[in-house]
Amino acid sequence: MSIKNECNILDAGMLDYPQAFALQKRIVDNVICGKASHTLISCQHPHVITLSRRTSKENILAPRQELEKCGVGIYCADRGGDVTYHGPGQIVLYPIFDLRRDKKDLHLYLRKLEEVVILALVDNFGLNAHRKSGLTGVWVGPYKVASIGIGVRHWVTYHGVALNVKTDKDFFSLIKPCGMDVEMASINDFFDDDVLVESVREMLIKSFCEVFKVKDNRRQKT
Amino acid sequence: MIKVYLPELGENITKATISYWYAEEGASVVEGTDLVEVATDKATFNVPAPCSGTLVEVVAHEGDTVHPGEVLAAIEEDTVSDDKTEE
Repeated sequence: MSIKNECNILDAGMLDYPQAFALQKRIVDNVICGKASHTLISCQHPHVITLSRRTSKENILAPRQELEKCGVGIYCADRGGDVTYHGPGQIVLYPIFDLRRDKKDLHLYLRKLEEVVILALVDNFGLNAHRKSGLTGVWVGPYKVASIGIGVRHWVTYHGVALNVKTDKDFFSLIKPCGMDVEMASINDFFDDDVLVESVREMLIKSFCEVFKVKDNRRQKT
Repeated sequence: MIKVYLPELGENITKATISYWYAEEGASVVEGTDLVEVATDKATFNVPAPCSGTLVEVVAHEGDTVHPGEVLAAIEEDTVSDDKTEE
């Protein structure tokens, strides 16, 4: 198997945002110098609000004291996009993907990340998941379910996509998500039966491997 | 003097915004390390320093719109002093 097609799948479980960030940086360095192949980190975060360098302070609606009271941390990240919320019940995928082995095209990569989510939601749930013209992310009907923001160094990607599976939507009211007037929803909101976060995680990994044409190396080893 | 250019970022990407300079004018920079971050849509891209030396001029500043092929900065390359003497 060529290293080009291998993808390390790493389930990091519940991981603090700064730890996830440090983990990504380490793997990015290894991928840049050829010591590691593509890696897909999946995890959930404890309640946290993350900003980009471009985020306007006005997009954080709640006062700092309220955030502290709710146990919500704030971190600035070197990714694209604006303000977002991460928390339990939301699956975050951080692909450390070597675009030197694919296409060096930032927007094409963003569209592929959207495709990963759309494919998983259409194939497994029959949801009418779609893009919105001129915007980045994934919607079901009028509701946004996935947010995307990436960083790229030496054409190796980091940060990624967050899909709300059963996220407590009240936390989104603390911010103006992505700096837009947008209503967020979780996959669980569209069904009477409980949707399992772990199942959706596996669906996303399968979909990722299909869209990016890589092999899940957990399967190669079995 | 080595110029730093904004590379092509993708087929239909005609512009980006300077979002962060990792070094100020006059600072030493090391080849391959992040020099300037640009943003387009929901992506940031780190342009590395093409050589080691001194960042002598920042042409495009934070908040500026830049285009692929445009000059962002200039670096005065370190001269390699050959102080080896004959053995």
